Amino acid sequence: MATQTPTRPEQDQSVEQKVQQVRKLYSDAPELAKKALENALPGLMSQAAEAQASQSESAGRIGIRLGTISELTVIAPFAPGGAQRLRAILRLLHGNFSAGTKVGTLHNMRFVFLDNDTKFLFATAYDGQWDPYIEDFATKIPDEMDIIFSAFEGWPGIRSPKVKDWIVEHQIPAEGWFVAYPDLTVAETGRVKRVAKAVEEFLDKVGN
Amino acid sequence: MTTQTQFATEPTTDAAVEQKLRKLSELYADAPEIGKAALKNGLNMLTQELAAPGRAQTAGRIGARQGKVSELTVFLPFVKGGAKRLRGFLQLLEGNFRAADAVGTVHNMRFVFVDNDTKLLFATAYDGDWDIYIEDFVAKIPNEMDVLFSCWIGWPGIHSPEVKDWIAKHQITAEGWYVAHPDRSVAEIHRLKRIGKAVEEFLDAVG
Repeated sequence: MATQTPTRPEQDQSVEQKVQQVRKLYSDAPELAKKALENALPGLMSQAAEAQASQSESAGRIGIRLGTISELTVIAPFAPGGAQRLRAILRLLHGNFSAGTKVGTLHNMRFVFLDNDTKFLFATAYDGQWDPYIEDFATKIPDEMDIIFSAFEGWPGIRSPKVKDWIVEHQIPAEGWFVAYPDLTVAETGRVKRVAKAVEEFLDKVGN
Repeated sequence: MTTQTQFATEPTTDAAVEQKLRKLSELYADAPEIGKAALKNGLNMLTQELAAPGRAQTAGRIGARQGKVSELTVFLPFVKGGAKRLRGFLQLLEGNFRAADAVGTVHNMRFVFVDNDTKLLFATAYDGDWDIYIEDFVAKIPNEMDVLFSCWIGWPGIHSPEVKDWIAKHQITAEGWYVAHPDRSVAEIHRLKRIGKAVEEFLDAVG
């Protein structure tokens, strides 16, 4: 441990220092990675400087958030027969998830079957804080939740007082999270879509 | 060359919906009680969903797409030291992925460390067709790609002629994929934001 007193708090350390740390980390990386890092460094320096301005934050109880958009990732084993049931229902729905639209805070979600149908990955991007988000699902689409997530081994049921703890226990917060438009909620995107349409109609009228 | 599969868009008949519901009930017969009860309660909702035309599409070579937005998911072991390096790199960026903005077709992406830092899950939502998307990354941010994905066992390098085959081989297509605004690409959403802002300024000026 160096004896010198730090003049600035850790997160405020200079970009140069941070870059040196990463360089050190990559010193035992495969050759192509080391070379790529050197090539990418000029751009990285300025990104790291910007990073202080646009940091990802906590989504609340668990998970990370960038602006208004948070991430939730759960990986857990399937219950016996769970993979077969879930696959069948997803195929029948064929991309129709009106329940997702009903919740209104869901940007996107995916259902992925891992390790020969033994594990189920659920990953979503949603608006805002973890607790209100989960509560929203429990209130608005409880049955849809249980139909889908009873595929997980040990799913306590959306009406169980333990459901939030269960999710927290199986959720894995991302180490990195990027969102192209962190300032737009699902609702806000819907609103600007309507505004843009109105503007187009307005301009059409003016043009005639 | 794979042709873009276009799924049936005809409305499903009542009889077909009935049949699908019967099949589901059979499948859920041995589900946990919670699942069975939920299926019974959710039948009305399901009837509507099943009657609607399918919205699931393919992203091209691999992956699912809804409207303009596709999904890509890769879940693979880290090479030795890979987790440590990637974590250090991600912490340096602190959520600032300007490289992804430079590509311009990434809606979002996440890096998740699984099973005690032994596996990396990479999952992204992006615009359009798989081949074009990957080529875009190769052309625009090759170094960033190698810095990030060399943490995976077997990553051939972005300049390798095998890189596309490698990704396709390890990508796992989602069985279900939902997008709230499937009709808008990243570029279009940025345009919408500008229109929204302009309208506000205009109304302010009028007011």
